[in-house]
Amino acid sequence: MSASPLLEVESIDVSYGRAPVLRGVALEVDANEVVCVIGRNGAGKTTLLRAVMGVLPVRRGRIRFDGRDVTGWKGHRLARAGLAWVPQGSSVFPGLTVADHLDIALQAGDGSRPRAEVVELFPVLGERLRQEAQTLSGGERKMLGIAQALMAAPKLMLLDEPTEGIAPAVVAEVRTALLRLAEVCSVALVEQNVDTALAVSTRAYVLERGTVVEQGPTRHLYDSGVIRTRLGL
Amino acid sequence: MSELLTNAFSVVSLASVFVLIALGLHFTFGLLGLVNLAHGEFLLLGAYIAYAVQEASGSTVAGVVAAPFGAALIGLVVERALLRFFYERPLDSLLATFGLAVIIRQGVQLIYSAVPRQVRDPLRGSFDLFDVNIPRWRLLIVVVDVLLVAGIGALLSRTRFGLRARASVRNPELAETMGIDVGWVRAFVFAIGSGVAGAAGALMAPISTLDPEFGLLFLVNSFLVVILGGVGSLYGLVAGGVVLGCSLALLQFAIPTVLAQIVVLVIAVAGVRLRPFLVERAGLSPARP
Repeated sequence: MSASPLLEVESIDVSYGRAPVLRGVALEVDANEVVCVIGRNGAGKTTLLRAVMGVLPVRRGRIRFDGRDVTGWKGHRLARAGLAWVPQGSSVFPGLTVADHLDIALQAGDGSRPRAEVVELFPVLGERLRQEAQTLSGGERKMLGIAQALMAAPKLMLLDEPTEGIAPAVVAEVRTALLRLAEVCSVALVEQNVDTALAVSTRAYVLERGTVVEQGPTRHLYDSGVIRTRLGL
Repeated sequence: MSELLTNAFSVVSLASVFVLIALGLHFTFGLLGLVNLAHGEFLLLGAYIAYAVQEASGSTVAGVVAAPFGAALIGLVVERALLRFFYERPLDSLLATFGLAVIIRQGVQLIYSAVPRQVRDPLRGSFDLFDVNIPRWRLLIVVVDVLLVAGIGALLSRTRFGLRARASVRNPELAETMGIDVGWVRAFVFAIGSGVAGAAGALMAPISTLDPEFGLLFLVNSFLVVILGGVGSLYGLVAGGVVLGCSLALLQFAIPTVLAQIVVLVIAVAGVRLRPFLVERAGLSPARP
């Protein structure tokens, strides 16, 4: 196994049109590691994940994944290389059932994780295989997103605000799912819920106005008051 | 009784023509969302491919079989070279496909001139069944129609490609990041739509006059069928084709053809207005399969 990080983001710049959103952002995720990206709304966290996943073009800098320069790769190539993305919100394919969603994930990647194994992690999805995904609750959709990503047996999962907008009782379920997830792949997590970030991640990056302003062990950043100060808690 | 059955077959035949000419549009307009004003020209290409092969080989059957493959190949090239830049740009795609239609039409005229051509009816004539005179070729159109609808339904709802196509159409960004090469899936969807249009053109050619304006005859009715049935719904398209085909056929018995077409247009507009209520009352999803 290579000693280099699984994901290396090297000083990338990303813009929406002419408006720069990320400036010189660098980030690393090692194998079997959970890294959290924290920041206020509009700091550029989602933009960072979208750029890594090839949804947004990188204007400057480089992205290396699993020892390869993947800058400019399209999303489907990245997915086949072992990168999975669970987007912000509750993105699903309208009109397709839960089973369809899982089958797409199984067919699309090189992964071989059987549906039964993933459904075991999320029993509620097993009960709703024939239901259209858009009729699921917000929390169930998040679980479906994670389950889909898991089906492809990724090396690294990019998770964008998995606990955003869901009921507190469901947050605990999602957090448990994240901890299980961390046992099978690396995770880069964007999260505003500090409790979740502390519970699942070992290292964190704090993003402010499109640049990384702090980084280090999550617990240390929290205990030293950095996270509270930067997030205005 | 015999007259009634003959008229019933005419109604079914016209309805199947409506469905046939609109089937390709289910892919390009219904699934991909491209307002494809060149749809009629893919029917034209299918008809002229059938004619060209017939002239070269002496076999009309070979021409009719070659037409969908030729049209699909041209569709694939056109999508990759031109139309892939126009998804999510409805007004631009309107202009692009209009230009494409003009190029195809003029290209065909350049090669074959405006002189009408004849694709022979390889089944020739008709037969009597229960005192009903049934033209063989029109019966073939009905049969091919049924097979095409069943085949397309199965392709979209029961195959790996169909699942990927539906995913790519309904949430391209998510599909792409799940390992689906959305660009090529779209290209193949467009090629299949073009191939189906080509098949329709080849099937319509023996019962029509074939000249470079051939495709224009079908364009408006194709869009009417798709819009009435519900964009993106295959079964809706069939229902739309049946409603419009039956309306036109029945009205033609009572009033002049031009007036019948005006009434059909009014029926289509009313149908579009009423469809959401009817779909809701029937408990149907508007986007299946």
